[in-house]
Amino acid sequence: MFVSIIQDIGITSLVSGGLALILVIAQRYLNDYGDCKIDINGKRLITLKGGSSLLNALSENQIFIPSACGGKGSCGTCKCQVLEGGGPLLPTEKPLLTTKEMTGNVRLACQIKVKSDVRIHIPESIFNIRRFQGVVSKIEDYTYDIKGVIITLTEPETIDFKAGQYVQLETPIYAKVRQKVGRAYSISSDPGNDRQIQLIIRYVPEGICTTWVHQYLNEGDQISFTGPYGDFFIRDTSADMIFVAGGSGKAPIKSILEYLSRVGTTRRMRYLFGARTCKDLYLTGEMHAFEQVFDDFEYIPVLSKPCPEENWQGRIGYVMPVFPELITDPANTEAYLCGSPAMIESVKKALIELGVPKDRIYYDSFG
Amino acid sequence: MKQTPQELLVTQRMQPGVITLSGFLGIDQRPLNEIIADDAQTLLRLDITAPEIAERMQYLTDQSQQAYEGGIIIDGSYEVETEITRGKLPCPFLHRGLQRKTVTTCTHLTTGITIRWTALNIHMIKEHGFFEGKGSPFRLEPGTLIKVLFPDAAHRS
Ligand SMILES: Cc1cc2nc3c(=O)[nH]c(=O)nc-3n(C[C@H](O)[C@H](O)[C@H](O)COP(=O)(O)OP(=O)(O)OC[C@H]3O[C@@H](n4cnc5c(N)ncnc54)[C@H](O)[C@@H]3O)c2cc1C
Ligand code: FES
Ligand SMILES: [Zn+2]
Repeated sequence: MFVSIIQDIGITSLVSGGLALILVIAQRYLNDYGDCKIDINGKRLITLKGGSSLLNALSENQIFIPSACGGKGSCGTCKCQVLEGGGPLLPTEKPLLTTKEMTGNVRLACQIKVKSDVRIHIPESIFNIRRFQGVVSKIEDYTYDIKGVIITLTEPETIDFKAGQYVQLETPIYAKVRQKVGRAYSISSDPGNDRQIQLIIRYVPEGICTTWVHQYLNEGDQISFTGPYGDFFIRDTSADMIFVAGGSGKAPIKSILEYLSRVGTTRRMRYLFGARTCKDLYLTGEMHAFEQVFDDFEYIPVLSKPCPEENWQGRIGYVMPVFPELITDPANTEAYLCGSPAMIESVKKALIELGVPKDRIYYDSFG
Repeated sequence: MKQTPQELLVTQRMQPGVITLSGFLGIDQRPLNEIIADDAQTLLRLDITAPEIAERMQYLTDQSQQAYEGGIIIDGSYEVETEITRGKLPCPFLHRGLQRKTVTTCTHLTTGITIRWTALNIHMIKEHGFFEGKGSPFRLEPGTLIKVLFPDAAHRS
């Protein structure tokens, strides 16, 4: 009896052991895609072991496609054109792609597994994007909901960016947040200092990244980001310039002004900053100081609802009615806008009505 | 009610820190389909559909966005303000498109009741009849919503 039980157990173990072995071998066989090649823009060829996502395969080779959800297929920022080898469109991709993108072979790099040779096309600027590690060297309170954060780079130690570009800050796993997410923040410092960057971050209630920055991040903490991204930088012309910003939109304009003050310019520049009350104003002294640096520059804060006790002596209302007074040659004016999508829409409309050419109005179009 | 694999996947995307900081379910332990079904019952009783509610929320949101900044009075009955942050968020129900990061605060001037909603709320109500779980920071009680958005219909309850 005992012997027969032992025999039964032995046979069962042998059978299940055998099955497990077959499964392991099958899995290895099935998941072994061998060496695969990724052809990028017909310019760079990467050879790697197949099996990982296109996003990871590229980032392991120092090519950083923007990604805001850590490759979880929920943000749609990792779009790239896959011309060959992407396989069929996946159910996780469809929600984030437009019909036009689908027909144009646009795919989510984080969802595609590299299983064979792949041919892709990415914008040239992506080749300049790197992952950076840094240390938070300073956090300053600018207003009740805006902080300035200075990051000193550690690996690599320098960054090459154009004034007006942005980085993607990586929020670590913290409190209830169980996965890394990335969020875009404009660099607010001068590209001339390539060892540090400054970001200006406004708190968004119930926001993943801004809650971390405002409530958990401390000076001395390690921080990671990728970048630089974006084409919101000044055009090298002699046209007049009008800057319009609100809230944290001051960040890229500050970077542009610091850059211009270093390289010098004689261009006519006006800067309108729209805010609600005096409590929403920050870096006002620093912005007015540029009036002493440039030949023809004026900083004009405009408050929509100043509190009576603030005794505000400046302009009251919205920024749009001030345009006709400030823009003297609309056809020869470039406009640089940074703020909420609603602000950009109203400002754009007013500028076009005034005669500023549509193709000379610049802003980050990620509403 | 038994959950489908699709519902389990959506529930996973609704956990804190996946799409939003606190997730969408709050302290609600009920399965997703039950949360939706219970709220659908309330709507049935009040004779209002989820798309009708969403349409009203969208109308007030759109009107408030005409104001470059700050709140505005709409139809003499509401003070509404919408704050927009740059960037977009996906819907937890594996659904096409991204929603803007907005928060609309709406005060009904007669009753003084204030409610707030986001672009994602409007989308989830319209497309999925989902008002979020109990205790979620953006849970919208259908009864309160109707009281504010359709004061006449609320008397029927
Ligand atoms: C090119 C670019 C540059 C930018 N530069 C800057 C900058 O310099 N400074 C700056 O401060 N910001 C900047 N931003 C915005 C920034 O990227 C983030 O979008 C912003 O900081 C909010 O991020 P978050 O993770 O805190 O919020 P998120 O978690 O991404 O979103 C918060 C929003 O989610 C919604 N939400 C949360 N919970 C729920 C719920 N339960 N139900 C329904 N809806 C919910 C609400 O609408 C809430 O407002 C920039 C954006 C872009 C695209
Ligand atoms: S990285 Fe977010 S969808 Fe691909
Ligand atoms: Zn949806």
